[in-house]
Amino acid sequence: MNTNELIAKIKSDDAQVRTEAWQSAGAVGAPAIRPLAEVVVKGELEVSRAARRAMWQIVRHAGRPGARGERRPVVTALLPLLGADQPEGLRRDAAWMLSEIAGARAVAPVAALLREPALREDARAVLQRLPGEAAVAALKTALAGAGSDFKPSLAHGLRQRGVEVPDVPCHKLKPVKATAVTPEGRA
Amino acid sequence: MQRKLGRRRFLACLSSGAAGTLILRDPRSARGCPVNERLRLAVFGTMYNAQHFLTAAHLHNAQIVALCNPDQRKIPAVFGRWEEIAREWADSTNPQQQQAAPQYRRLADRQGLHIFTDVRQMFAERADQIDAVIVSDYDHFHGVACGQALRAGKPVCSERPLGLTIDEARRLRALAARTLLPTTYRSPGTGSGSFRRGIELTLIEEDAIGPVREVHLWFRRGGPDRTQLPQGHHPVPDGLDWDLWLGPLPWRPFNQRYCHGTFRWILESGGGQIRDRGAHVMSCAMWWMGADGTGPVTVEATGTPPTRGLWDSAVTMHVTYTFKNPDWVMTWDQRQEALVPPEERGEDEPKIIRPGYGAVYHGDKGTFTHWGGDGGTWAERKCREWEPPSGAKEVYKSPGHYEDWFEGIKTGKKTIMNIEAAVGVSNLCVLGNLSYMLGRKIEWDQARQEIVRDEQARRLMSRPQRYPYHL
Repeated sequence: MNTNELIAKIKSDDAQVRTEAWQSAGAVGAPAIRPLAEVVVKGELEVSRAARRAMWQIVRHAGRPGARGERRPVVTALLPLLGADQPEGLRRDAAWMLSEIAGARAVAPVAALLREPALREDARAVLQRLPGEAAVAALKTALAGAGSDFKPSLAHGLRQRGVEVPDVPCHKLKPVKATAVTPEGRA
Repeated sequence: MQRKLGRRRFLACLSSGAAGTLILRDPRSARGCPVNERLRLAVFGTMYNAQHFLTAAHLHNAQIVALCNPDQRKIPAVFGRWEEIAREWADSTNPQQQQAAPQYRRLADRQGLHIFTDVRQMFAERADQIDAVIVSDYDHFHGVACGQALRAGKPVCSERPLGLTIDEARRLRALAARTLLPTTYRSPGTGSGSFRRGIELTLIEEDAIGPVREVHLWFRRGGPDRTQLPQGHHPVPDGLDWDLWLGPLPWRPFNQRYCHGTFRWILESGGGQIRDRGAHVMSCAMWWMGADGTGPVTVEATGTPPTRGLWDSAVTMHVTYTFKNPDWVMTWDQRQEALVPPEERGEDEPKIIRPGYGAVYHGDKGTFTHWGGDGGTWAERKCREWEPPSGAKEVYKSPGHYEDWFEGIKTGKKTIMNIEAAVGVSNLCVLGNLSYMLGRKIEWDQARQEIVRDEQARRLMSRPQRYPYHL
């Protein structure tokens, strides 16, 4: 199956055809990422879902042991999807896809998302997962410049990577996030 | 294969009083209140454990002192039930119910009860008034809530399975080991008498089924394949703290399709049937095989996904777990037809309430089958008709997994469904799903508790959790 055939099947009205298509998307690989992303954004609900699953299938296939040669072009195809010209949901998905297979090359583009309130927590999580010192360094740099509302999250990410961050408290045990919901029976 | 009986032997010894002594620093250190006092319980969520304790705390000499739920819409139904019980039991001819009626009247009238949205708020305000915690809500918050409870010094009874990821389960085990607090997770099937008798039969009667090399677990129904995708965003309803409900999961806008009943069928937050019925029947199998504390060397899954809708956990699924030293194989088979139809039973025999899933143990000389694993385990007739010879050592007779936990709290005794067993089963479920998602066999190093020779799978052993809802 080539990219055009894959996209045609992903757009099929038949749920079974779509399912079989996304399941076999892995072997089509990197060339299908961009066209699939367009279907994710523009497709009807179930078609969009099938396209998204096809993208994940490609990522999971490229991540298999011994497939380094396939991983690199998939990472290359995913990186532009982090750009501000893409819808937020797609950018979030792309970041998490990169978290599974990317290396140092993805660090700077993902770190750029730390500046965007809607995506920064996902970006922190992805950097926490990406291996290597570049990801740790990006978290440290972000911590140095972050506002007080985001510092604890970045510090958490660093602690998970074995870095001590003594100056920033961890609030996981403290109810510091305000809730708008009043517990039943309380004024 | 010679069956490894480490934990079972230990438990058998426990029942004869020969072992199992845990020296507590002082009688209060295990649970923070004197042994004979009524235990004060905090209940997080309203699922199965909660359903039991909210109306049966009195049976365990316990009382509910706190309720916590990010979705406060669930609370009025709890009060409704308490009101009902208080009214009915006040006039009951059952002395136990009559005696308990005032306890539920007080709860219905909100006396001595505190209600919270945030589990952290609960511990911040009332930790000194809580002796133990029931974690009974959606899978993706089990780990975080258990962690909060253990850090607050409270014994925990959790829903199964324990962890959403390998890393989460590993951290919880480390935390439980550090705090020495008794934990249990919900897997009531192992407390069943006929199941225990099945173990005794095959242990004592060498010719009953012979050495076991294969255990096949099955669930008759496939997963769901019928739901619509969530379309757009909905306004968050009054009473639901959506941010808290999502907890450690990546944030997404609210859509009513995401909660409540759907979380289990989404791989990110639940994991499908393998983590539901699978966790129960795997608990039985691991206990039966004396394999708690051990793990597979390889895990290989195949399956079929839903063709439409929101849910993405497997509809049908086949997972093969290969164990070494001793060598045996366990399979999880999620299928359209039962692997073994339910045994026909007479009117005077206990009815098999959960015939749709179970396990078959294949020995060199025969097989042993049981159905269910949750809320009861129904062993085949030959076990029920068999009596152990006099003087034979019996397998530890569980007083029921909740009572077993209370005994753990009071005495420091290790619980049957303890943290090691919980982590082992949790890992089996997670590894099965990872292999299914990745479409390849996974190699597992039990000693190091990690996946080997697969970088992507190794990264998926953990999933970074959203701050501040992390372990």
